[in-house]
Amino acid sequence: MIRLENIHKSFTVKDRKTRKPRRIDAVQGISFEVRPGEIYGLLGPNGAGKSTTLRMIASLMKPDAGVLEVCGVDAVREPDRSRAAVAYLATDMNVYERFTPRELLRMFGEFQGVDAVVAERRGLHLLEKLHLTEFADVKMDGFSSGQKQKVGIARALLHDPKVVVFDEPTTGLDVLTAKTVLDLLRVMKSEGRAVVVSTHVMPMVEQICDRVGIIYGGELHGDAPPREILKSRNATTLDEVFFQLAAEGEATLTGKEA
Amino acid sequence: MQGAMLILKKELVEFFKDRRTVFFTFVMPLVLYPVLLTMMAKLAIREAGEREGKPSRVVLLDPSGALKGKLEANPARFQIVPRPEGDFLQAVTAEKADLQVEVEPGASEARARMDTFKVTALYDESTGTSRTALKRLKEALKDYDEAAVKERLSSLKAPEALAKPTRLESKDAGDISRQMRKMLGSFLPYVLLIVMFAGAMQHGAYMSAGERERGTLLSLLATRIPRIQIILGKQLALFTLSLLTVVVSLASMAFGIGRMGQEFQVAEAAEAAARGGAAAAAGNLSGLVTPSTFLLTFLLLVPLGFFFTAIVMLVGTQARTTREAQTALTPGIFIVIVLGVFSMAPGIEKMALLPYVPILNISLAIRKLFSQQANMLEYAVALAMTTGMAALATWQSSRILGRESSLFKGGD
Repeated sequence: MIRLENIHKSFTVKDRKTRKPRRIDAVQGISFEVRPGEIYGLLGPNGAGKSTTLRMIASLMKPDAGVLEVCGVDAVREPDRSRAAVAYLATDMNVYERFTPRELLRMFGEFQGVDAVVAERRGLHLLEKLHLTEFADVKMDGFSSGQKQKVGIARALLHDPKVVVFDEPTTGLDVLTAKTVLDLLRVMKSEGRAVVVSTHVMPMVEQICDRVGIIYGGELHGDAPPREILKSRNATTLDEVFFQLAAEGEATLTGKEA
Repeated sequence: MQGAMLILKKELVEFFKDRRTVFFTFVMPLVLYPVLLTMMAKLAIREAGEREGKPSRVVLLDPSGALKGKLEANPARFQIVPRPEGDFLQAVTAEKADLQVEVEPGASEARARMDTFKVTALYDESTGTSRTALKRLKEALKDYDEAAVKERLSSLKAPEALAKPTRLESKDAGDISRQMRKMLGSFLPYVLLIVMFAGAMQHGAYMSAGERERGTLLSLLATRIPRIQIILGKQLALFTLSLLTVVVSLASMAFGIGRMGQEFQVAEAAEAAARGGAAAAAGNLSGLVTPSTFLLTFLLLVPLGFFFTAIVMLVGTQARTTREAQTALTPGIFIVIVLGVFSMAPGIEKMALLPYVPILNISLAIRKLFSQQANMLEYAVALAMTTGMAALATWQSSRILGRESSLFKGGD
């Protein structure tokens, strides 16, 4: 359902000290696949290239090179068509605070080509699943970050997408809300959707992910079920794997500099 | 274009949900302009009334007493005051004198000889009471001269017509609505330019950089609506809001100016009645702006609005925060103010190249429309030029804004 093959993406940023443009290779030749009914965890430290990869899957960014297919659609050539099949949620996304959840969901339903009445019905159903029904008609300017995140999830899933891309969906959430989100991810898996999540929370990955890919320095290190990764790295937790990779990365950098 | 329409709807709904912004954008100007203009008229009338009601303080230096009797005969208009110590201007500032009149020594003898004598008046142009005193002196001297001429002609046994080969009778063919139209035509383009740009700037920063700052832009970009339509929808919404701002401001100002005109009419009628004369023709203020003038002006505003909003969107979307966008757009308002002030300059319409200067040709066309001197060729040139500029700016801004680097800044 999602296929990435040798994907590259780089940015040009201005160096604050030298004021000269500098190229950053955010993603370097990443390849993996996510099948229907599978949850794929993308792990990595800040700046590893996770968000860029997810944004490319959601057709918010275009890869510089490589093949990217979402539900059989070439996401590079037809980003608008490919985006229609994806639910995208990121921690830095917010809700329109002047609206109520009901109004927002109805509006985004229209944006996604869903009839307003159907969108409202689906939206209310999702709010119920997320335990937010009683706030459906409350203006969101007073909502907590958890409540906003839940509305964001409902907003993303409104058009019944086959692919779900969540970038750090539990960051900043309390334990209860985080559990609700994880439960919802399991439901989506059971419904046959292809789910990709990125996170720093390793226990969450071990709990829900069928396979994981670890990104470091824009490259993918390992693409296997969590247990296999632990076995291949001779580690007991994914945190350990993470530290190993960090140490390897440091060594590579030092070697390059020498 | 369905996506752009949905974005337009979303932006307008979001705007009208914020009651405070709606109040400051639409309700306040509706109330503020008429109140301010009426207050200004009332103050001006009151000040003029106060000036007219008081005698002017005149320092009379008239050794032969040629004018003393004439001025003293009218205590309602002149009050002879002693010569102040020090500078005359200081006396004006201290409200001790309004005018100093110096009559040539031997003036009475000169009059008796049927000769001319010199009267020197010292006044302060920057002070209203001083200007009024000079006006009164001129009127008094005119009466004095007429009486002297009459006396001289009579002594020569010559007819009065000898000194008056012509008799001028002037009558104002225009009315107050014509004056108002001219006034509107001269300052309206200035107001339109500024209000339209300021409106676009204020809301544009919220819609572009504000959306990024609040973290809602990504959720829009993640929908199936193509980027170009998101940008166009936002530009349409911005255009609608800035046009609405202009319409509300205009309506409010037109009402305020009407009220101001009425205040002046009433004051003029009262003054005329006090003088025992008839007031000038009142004119019909209700027909100040004809539907065709309104429509033609509106047609000019459409491309101008698109031009402004394209620029505001372009600048706004490059900024990370609303404040940064507003800072970046501030120089724009200065440019618009300069253009507006330039367009108000008297006689500017005579510049041959003006119909071909962008934005200023809009000012000129509006000015002529309101003065009922519209030149349709100039109007068409202004409309075509601004439409071309608006199309170019919209295309360019959509192209730049559609770029990934514009939508995802370094920190995103």
